Amino acid sequence: MILFDFEHESPSSTEAAVARLNEVGEEARFLAGGTDMIPNMRIGIVKPECLISLTSIPYAPPALDAKGWLEIDALTRLSEIEHSKLVGDAAPMLAASAHSVAGNQIRQVATLGGNLCQETRCLYLNQKHDFQFVEPCFKRGGDCCYPFPKNKKNVCWSVYMSDIAPVLVALNAEVSVLGAGGEVRLPIAALFTGDGLRPHTLNPGELIRRIHIPPAPSHFGWGYHKSTVRGGLEFATALMAVALEVRANGLVCSDARIAIGAVNEGPVRLDKTEASMKGLELNPANLRMLADQASQEVNPLPHHGFSKPYLRDNIRVHLKRTLALAVERAGTRMKEDRS
Amino acid sequence: MRDATAKARPAPRLITLTINGEVREVMVRPRIMLLEVIRDHVGLTGTKDGCESGTCGACTVLLNGKPVLACITLAVECDGKTVETVESLSEGGRLGDLQEAFLDQGATQCGFCTPGILMSAKALLKSNPKPTLPEIKKALEGNLCRCTGYNAIVDAILQVSDQGVAPLMK
Repeated sequence: MILFDFEHESPSSTEAAVARLNEVGEEARFLAGGTDMIPNMRIGIVKPECLISLTSIPYAPPALDAKGWLEIDALTRLSEIEHSKLVGDAAPMLAASAHSVAGNQIRQVATLGGNLCQETRCLYLNQKHDFQFVEPCFKRGGDCCYPFPKNKKNVCWSVYMSDIAPVLVALNAEVSVLGAGGEVRLPIAALFTGDGLRPHTLNPGELIRRIHIPPAPSHFGWGYHKSTVRGGLEFATALMAVALEVRANGLVCSDARIAIGAVNEGPVRLDKTEASMKGLELNPANLRMLADQASQEVNPLPHHGFSKPYLRDNIRVHLKRTLALAVERAGTRMKEDRS
Repeated sequence: MRDATAKARPAPRLITLTINGEVREVMVRPRIMLLEVIRDHVGLTGTKDGCESGTCGACTVLLNGKPVLACITLAVECDGKTVETVESLSEGGRLGDLQEAFLDQGATQCGFCTPGILMSAKALLKSNPKPTLPEIKKALEGNLCRCTGYNAIVDAILQVSDQGVAPLMK
């Protein structure tokens, strides 16, 4: 049972849901799968007066549009993405990341849009504030950051833990956002503010309608790694998604995107490492050098008991392996194209 | 007398659920979870209330055939849907095959996680009658057993799916 009362409505279309939320005002929130929202309501991080449920709204299965972009409705359940043949062929990295989210029961109801809109997490914030932890932190409207008491005023070092967002960033995906003024298409990176207090740029009354993923170029390789302690039913310690393209005449990188997740207030691109990767031959020595550089470039927030040096080391080791895997996949693809 | 400025409490609403084949009508407020309907309103206490935050899997039930966590599912969202709980596995007081296999392998220790694991296993076996070891582990990743009896649980599922595991306790 949730400890406060709220209204619940189930509109039959996305447009009706947006219109209804704008009518009710800021006390209302959208409810998709609810696997992040309901636990947050149970511990009092969000206290909406009205939930506008999106679960009964029909949605289209993943499909390719006229330009070959993969279009996925934001209400698609993660288990459907995980098992969809089309997603597995067109964007295997997305299928792999959906497969790594939480546990089976959660993936059955959690939605793609909801995963992107999830709240940031912190060991102090995600506690029931009724015993021991009773004082509110900045994110709950208090006046101190209890996990980091020397933190500047109104700076929240909670961590954005979506398993899927870094993948969409690495794949250069776009999102369609539906608001009161109509639908807008944005690059995925424009969704995130990098501020722990308010991690998303979406205003109340706006929701993600669709995700668009561009077709993979030829000689494309990908790598995805979710570092966890336990292996399942867990948020990531650190997440890395690599998408790279090699030149036709050998394993020389022509384009690369590396996104790191679960260590900052939003997914981060490693611009410097990407720049030094272009034109570089992707041999083991260079991959080691790139991973070293990446671990220095990234500035992880200590979270859930993991210190900054540990997270840097974790990223260095696993990013090297992830890069090697991406290079291997690009090489295999090149051989397939030739034969 | 009610304070004029106080907001009206959301009215309870009538929802219809088919729980283990029986149609049930219950009055719930939006804040009530499916788990409370099953345990408190309907009285089927086989489904366990573990973490109340969707992290242990003890409350797993099948909602329209899919395994979901009843502790983070709002009851009002389930109106008109079919729910199967662990009680649906036995018939007339006799345990089902899956439950017998759990007994044969000694796959329960304290037994608190067992109802959830049985329902996860039922959903797995329905979609995949002969799951491999990694498939079983992946399907059960959302169920925690703090007695750590995982090997026996996996063996029980291998036994019930006829994959060459002999009963241990008979």
